Amino acid sequence: MSSAVSVQQLTKRYSFSRAAKGFGGALAPEKVTIEAVCDISFEISAGERVAIIGPNGAGKSTTLKMLCGILEPSAGGARVLGLVPWRERKALAYRIGVVFGQRSQLWGELPPRESFALLRRVYDQDAAVFVRRLGELSERFGLAELMDQPVHRLSLGQRMRCEITASLLHGPALLFLDEPTIGLDVTAKAAIRDFIREHARDHGETVLLTSHDTRDIELVCDRVIVVDEGRIVVDQPTDQLRRTFLARKLIILRSQAPRLAIDMPGVVARPSEPHTTVLEVDTRTARIDQVIAEALALGGIDDITIEDPPMEEVVREIYAVARRR
Amino acid sequence: MRSTLSPAVAERGPLAAAAEAFRLGAAQTLSGWPVLIGRCLFYVLLMVVLSGLWDKVAAERVAGLAQHARVETFVLYVGATEWITLSIPALHLKFEDDIRGGALDVHLLRPKPYLLQAVAQCCGWAFVRMLALGATALAMLNLSGRAWPSLQALAFIGVLGVFGALVGVLLYALAGLGAFWARRVLPFQLIVQKLMFILGGLFAPITLYPPILRRIGAASPFAAHLYWAGVQAIRPSLRLFLTGLAWQALWVVLLSLACAGLWAAGVRKVLRAGAA
Repeated sequence: MSSAVSVQQLTKRYSFSRAAKGFGGALAPEKVTIEAVCDISFEISAGERVAIIGPNGAGKSTTLKMLCGILEPSAGGARVLGLVPWRERKALAYRIGVVFGQRSQLWGELPPRESFALLRRVYDQDAAVFVRRLGELSERFGLAELMDQPVHRLSLGQRMRCEITASLLHGPALLFLDEPTIGLDVTAKAAIRDFIREHARDHGETVLLTSHDTRDIELVCDRVIVVDEGRIVVDQPTDQLRRTFLARKLIILRSQAPRLAIDMPGVVARPSEPHTTVLEVDTRTARIDQVIAEALALGGIDDITIEDPPMEEVVREIYAVARRR
Repeated sequence: MRSTLSPAVAERGPLAAAAEAFRLGAAQTLSGWPVLIGRCLFYVLLMVVLSGLWDKVAAERVAGLAQHARVETFVLYVGATEWITLSIPALHLKFEDDIRGGALDVHLLRPKPYLLQAVAQCCGWAFVRMLALGATALAMLNLSGRAWPSLQALAFIGVLGVFGALVGVLLYALAGLGAFWARRVLPFQLIVQKLMFILGGLFAPITLYPPILRRIGAASPFAAHLYWAGVQAIRPSLRLFLTGLAWQALWVVLLSLACAGLWAAGVRKVLRAGAA
């Protein structure tokens, strides 16, 4: 599969002046340099959906900005769809779509239809192609009743649907999403995630996403790059990430008895509601089938569910491991 | 399924996008019609006060103004300059918001130049305001019972007013682009605004100034913004019209180049530093 994004030893340092202590320091400020992104390298294949995650200040947005072409690196190189982003920003702009969850690309006082009309001109789209794409996206996203309402009257979820539509109207091959579900309610988040995943799958788009919401990562992306303090800590498929970093499963038992007591090495009961027992199983010590057999032997089981631990826990574990190294 | 959205773009120049931005700017102003009506009422209030002032000056033949045969036409002069001034949107604040608030990132990700689109959008705002305020001016003139300027003078004021507004938009753009280097652009805008008042002759034609100030004022972008349109209300003439148009053309070119230069320097800074 061809490479959509290729990053080699990309580094970004920010320098600024800071007044040093004392009277002399005020006259001669010291220069401080911070390494926001340090020597990172990775490849993303065409059609892949990748999440970059990390705590605040980890270098996610800086990396995304460099790959979009709106920030020049201090060292290293990158190619996005065969172009050097910061040197060929205009050419790249025709081929990428970008959504910033916290910044709107729509005109607040006007209906989305007007902003879309401007974007048609900005991206030199043929009128017939534009109308067809807008029709497809509008139908898929249920925008018909929103098209003629001023953007400032739309809910956050409705606005985000319009933002994503705006970023797809010119048919980009690569979609950058920076916190696309931030501030949305559960239903709106689910709609956005479904749409991104299905649209990318159906149209072969590559997706690069940053998010603090681990459900975005689990439900949309095939692969996760974890950054911390400007460095890549982990770069793995989403499923493998869970297996590598938390060799744990959650077994949820619903029973007639208020509580089930299972005493096995590697099995710990988590706090839970009456008639529900949540067991955390370390799969390196205990086998899932043995734990279930033990539970069934107790009798009175109504339901059994086996789950992976929440991604939130996976990420917390990764940061903890990275910091211990 | 392979993409039905594969890019098939015949790249065109930036003018079609700028024209669309102009149209959207006009639509934005129209969508805020209560504000537009408020602006027109403010214009009426301003002109009631200023016409009272100039009528008093004309009636009392204030020393130094006696040489100006038609002081009473100064009301029309002020009407023209205020028409232009009140039509200019606060482009500097838009730039400050976009550059300092991070929205610039979104604009830099587009293939068409943001500066041209922002100026075009602002011209769209200004155009609708000029139409509404112009209609208000003509209605006020009709109700006041004053002598109307000739049709030729009105046409000259209209043309020079539109280009004067463009000069004003570019002056505010220059002030706004200061946001790349300063957190607040209000100080820059205040300097530009005061120079518009003084060298542009907002309340009185610069022909009343001492010779040296008059020459400096006439050659400045501030006169291109206000004076050359206003003077047609006092002394309509083809020669003055063409002179004014020439100064306006010169300043539109020079200010556009200055804006483009500042923009390029500012974007270079943002691309290196990540933020203004």
